[in-house]
Amino acid sequence: MLDATVYERIGIAVGSTALALLISLVIVAAVGHDPLQFARDLIVGSFGSRRAFSRTLQFTTLFILAGVAVAVAFRAGVFNIGVQGQLIIGGISATLAIIWVAPFLPNGVGGGIALALLGLIAAMVTGGLYAAFPGVLKAYYGANEIITTIMLNFIAIGIVGWAVDGPLRPDDARSVRTDYLPDNVALPQLLFENPNFSIVGLAFALVVAIVISIVMTRTSLGYDMVTSGHQEPAATFSGVASKRMIVTTMTLSGMIAGLVGAIFAIMVQGYFIDPSGIGNYGFDAIAVSLLAANNPLGVVPAALLFGALDSSSSYVQINSGVPVQLIDGIVGLVVLFVAAPELFRMIAKRTGLGGDDR
Amino acid sequence: MSVADYTSSRRVRLGGLAVVTLGALAAVAVLVFDVPLERIFTVGFINRTLVGASPIALAAIGGLYAEKSGVFNIGLEGFMIFGAITAAAAMYGMGGTSPSQPHIWLAIAIAVAFTLALTILYAVLLIRYKADQIVAGLAIWFMGLGFAPFAASLLWDTVRSPGLASINNYSVPYLAEIPYLGSIVFNQSPLVVFTLVVVIVSWIFLYRTQYGYWIQAAGDNPKALDTAGVDVNRVRYATVIFSGAMAGLGGAVLLAHAGDFIGTGDTMVDGRGWIAIVAYLFGNYNPIGAALAALLFAGLDMLQIQFQTADITLFGRDISARLMGLAPYVGVIIVLTVWGKTRMPSSVGEPYEKEE
Amino acid sequence: MSVKNEPAKVRLEGITKTFGDVVANDNVDFTLEEGTIHALLGENGSGKTTLMSVLYGLYDQDEGSIYVDGDHRTFTSPQDAMNAGVGMIHQHFQLIEPMTVLQNVILGHEPTVNGLVDEDAARDDIEEICSRYGFNVDQHLETPVEELDLGTRQRVEIVKSLYRGAEILILDEPTAVLTPQEVDGLMTLMEDLRKAGRSLIFISHKLDEVLQIADQITVLRDGAAVGTVDAADTHEQELARMMVGREVLFDRLSRETSVGDPVFAAEEISVLGDRGLEQVSEVDVTVRESEILGIAGVQGNGQTELAEALTGLRPVESGKISFRDADITETGRRRRIELGIGYIPGDRQIEGLVQNYDLVKNALLGNQTIEPYAKNGWLDWGAVSEHADEIIEEFDVQPPNASVRATSLSGGNQQKFIVGREIGHEPTVMVAAHPTRGVDIGSIEFIHNRLIELRDDGLGVVVISSKLDEIQKLADRIAVMYEGEFIRTVDPDEVTEEELGLLMAGKRLEDESVDADAEPVETDSEAQS
Repeated sequence: MLDATVYERIGIAVGSTALALLISLVIVAAVGHDPLQFARDLIVGSFGSRRAFSRTLQFTTLFILAGVAVAVAFRAGVFNIGVQGQLIIGGISATLAIIWVAPFLPNGVGGGIALALLGLIAAMVTGGLYAAFPGVLKAYYGANEIITTIMLNFIAIGIVGWAVDGPLRPDDARSVRTDYLPDNVALPQLLFENPNFSIVGLAFALVVAIVISIVMTRTSLGYDMVTSGHQEPAATFSGVASKRMIVTTMTLSGMIAGLVGAIFAIMVQGYFIDPSGIGNYGFDAIAVSLLAANNPLGVVPAALLFGALDSSSSYVQINSGVPVQLIDGIVGLVVLFVAAPELFRMIAKRTGLGGDDR
Repeated sequence: MSVADYTSSRRVRLGGLAVVTLGALAAVAVLVFDVPLERIFTVGFINRTLVGASPIALAAIGGLYAEKSGVFNIGLEGFMIFGAITAAAAMYGMGGTSPSQPHIWLAIAIAVAFTLALTILYAVLLIRYKADQIVAGLAIWFMGLGFAPFAASLLWDTVRSPGLASINNYSVPYLAEIPYLGSIVFNQSPLVVFTLVVVIVSWIFLYRTQYGYWIQAAGDNPKALDTAGVDVNRVRYATVIFSGAMAGLGGAVLLAHAGDFIGTGDTMVDGRGWIAIVAYLFGNYNPIGAALAALLFAGLDMLQIQFQTADITLFGRDISARLMGLAPYVGVIIVLTVWGKTRMPSSVGEPYEKEE
Repeated sequence: MSVKNEPAKVRLEGITKTFGDVVANDNVDFTLEEGTIHALLGENGSGKTTLMSVLYGLYDQDEGSIYVDGDHRTFTSPQDAMNAGVGMIHQHFQLIEPMTVLQNVILGHEPTVNGLVDEDAARDDIEEICSRYGFNVDQHLETPVEELDLGTRQRVEIVKSLYRGAEILILDEPTAVLTPQEVDGLMTLMEDLRKAGRSLIFISHKLDEVLQIADQITVLRDGAAVGTVDAADTHEQELARMMVGREVLFDRLSRETSVGDPVFAAEEISVLGDRGLEQVSEVDVTVRESEILGIAGVQGNGQTELAEALTGLRPVESGKISFRDADITETGRRRRIELGIGYIPGDRQIEGLVQNYDLVKNALLGNQTIEPYAKNGWLDWGAVSEHADEIIEEFDVQPPNASVRATSLSGGNQQKFIVGREIGHEPTVMVAAHPTRGVDIGSIEFIHNRLIELRDDGLGVVVISSKLDEIQKLADRIAVMYEGEFIRTVDPDEVTEEELGLLMAGKRLEDESVDADAEPVETDSEAQS
């Protein structure tokens, strides 16, 4: 996938999405629902109202950050499938750090900002460490990072799930959750009135995407990482310490993943819940990143697409009667097609589109 | 140290590691939890472990065939999910909420046929269209995580199936009464015995038939196989399709023992496909080794039941089943760390083209 | 020599094969008579292997016909070729390393009983073949191939072809990986095969070998057949002229500058290879300013590991490496680049260039921490781009366009770009591993001249090569490496090619006069005694 031109990449992304959506329409029709209604509901459910749109942006914010986390690792040739686990660890750490330190800080806006920053830092540190661990195992012990990170996802869900249902659960909580974050820890409501979304959160995610993009293209570190992903022996030749680079990459990826958890806790939820119920941002982010050819800026439109899909799901289920899980299936289809650029080259050649004969 | 010493020392390490792991577990049980061993390693535990290991072993054998031939089928987990949901749907379709034993067998066969058909498409993408093996494998997993609960919702309005039926143990009269051995050998799930047969046959096939030679050659030096007049991609198609069907079988066997489909979270498969990959790596790409590794991981998984039934406490508190349930995942990480540098076939992941 | 009234064993008529825009074979005719050895001679990239791959069914020719025993044949796969009695021994052995010799020999043609492979029957057949031709591989039948040396592996390949019933054997550069002794063994074997009535095609670019063994010689140049001559009626100069299209003389160049002080030294270093086996054993290396130290040896005797240890790509197990009196044994690769230790890597495709990067991005490779291209971790792409243009201009890289990807350059141009970039580091020491491997003649001269200029500018240069002529042309001092040790350091003016060849084969010279005037013994290995 790395050897395609920019136009080819965009073509593959659009083609994969279109093909996946087309198949989903066929499935919808096949199980006895109206595909046109389904398509209309997808759009209305994500962009049809101010509320739907703000919900779409809420998901987009999380997908941008999670997508960038994946992109950093994939670009450098490290398959971090553990963004889900890292964001869970980051989210719970942010929540706990804020709750524990809150009594020692003033109540006003200043205290709130300080607490939010503290939460972000705590999430970056713990998310980074939780990713550095499989990085070390890969670099120095040869343990396949795909499998270790997936195992660490299960472990993060298990441990945090146990803690949130046990020692961290307040006595008066009716559902499985931690204490609430203090009221002053919240992102300001501008433009949209949605308690789960703030334009400041979206701006933060965009800034992170831009910063990472600059790091990847304009710094020695970025060149080292991208070169390692393209051709590891050449990177080693040029002075990159490949083992250390694996750990660095995983750490950076995990730090960004941690931010997803912190933003989820601060902006969306206001507390932390059983992680098996927070949504598969870390997995969908893999699709987001691949669709963007692992480009941190390309992640933004891809995140908007997936944000819209996720945002519309409950509307779709209520109106079309199509079970929400179909959306997850579509994500899988998109990833499947992105994996096979040759398929689209063949289609392009057969149909005479894009005569770029390679 | 010669290469021969090197490889044989690996084999020693494999056995040694398994023994050390089991020994450490036993020591932990005895020392930390102050439990008599016989309360952990009961007949029930051994039977549960055998039942638990079967789906993992089946998927692992499929996976190792594919990888031996040069294709990393990372989609095992996804194919297991498809196998489980298909078996559940087929069982429900034939017998409603009270399917008969023949329905179960038929449902397993349908699940294998369905995943086999699905894997044909997957194999075409991987081999014909040279799809990225890692990304496509992840995609199969995501599709399973989406489409299986989707199908469950369509059928049952919820991602869980109602109680269906699970496979009955066979029981040999009189012999089953023998203490310990009788209830393990003569009163057992037929699917466990079936798995055992599959393990042995797949070992013989891989190491004693010409097709087995071709599979090994396709993964290690595909050009050599090509110049020997064997179509490399045909071998790879066969193994990849076999691997998907075996993972589907594993999922179906998992369901046939459980008796109902669970589609919440990571579904009832819950990482067993990933564990299967580690099982064959740990088993050094040998079907028998993979099956032994599957036993190890299944045993870790079943420990949580033992700890609960044996009323084992830690510092006076009950041990959370949820935390104990993480043991196999921790075990996988330990195995990969200690045993990470397995000798992969040299050409895994590279599409083979005749003219370059 | 051959029976003329019978149809030729193999006849290729007007074979043309193109890959994209590249014409690999251009209307080539070729005839192999029964019971003879026919050499196919040409430089790297002249189309020898392509032509034989067409005969072996690996490639489909665009035009032309194949006749075996007078019958027109169409080969769409090696299977077809094998059925017609054609077998090929590839330069890169087609063996499955973890499988045993026996399993390798019978691969694809396994005798079976009840569906299981009948190894006993196979063993009998193979032993019969071995005794008929005097092979000695039968004692290895149960050994995994990965435990065998290269010469034995090659014999396994030949047995494999014979087992499949090959009448015609194609040997693709069979001597490239062998020691001189193993080459002798191979020559004897080829004669035996000829005596037994087999017909052999011997692909090579080595004039002496071809003259020694072949009955007939066909020379290819740029994909076209230049001509076919009887070995008895020709000589090296004629063949060389046919190969390169002009007279080439690799003369030693005279030196004017005097050798300076030591700048870079390794003391008794031992280095492990990829498999964890010791590849370099207690070697001493001293590099002086204004000097080219040549390290000669047959590939695979530890040269690569030595180069990687010197340049910081591979840790040493024991011993010490110093640069201008500073101990740099533990210094990483990046720091060594910054110190001025340049490296032209042996594998330009994998190490020297990122194939999917354009030349601008490739110009940065190794320069990530060097000013003006990088400052405090920030890259200056403007400066890098200028640097790329400079390299292209100064080193005559074709096409002269920094925005093309490295993968689209020819081998010679890739190598020129790498040499240009590494010299651009303004190094103090340059380690060049196989600097002209797979490079066209024009670029070879160009690169040689640049290396000599470096020497004349006062740099210490290490040239590692398995080409005797290259080493003799460039080096001021030659250290011969054999099985991980320097077995001798000699003065290139005092040593003949024959003597060098013997040394490379591990033979220690009795005649001490050979290195009478060589530099002092710093570069000699302790293990010499």
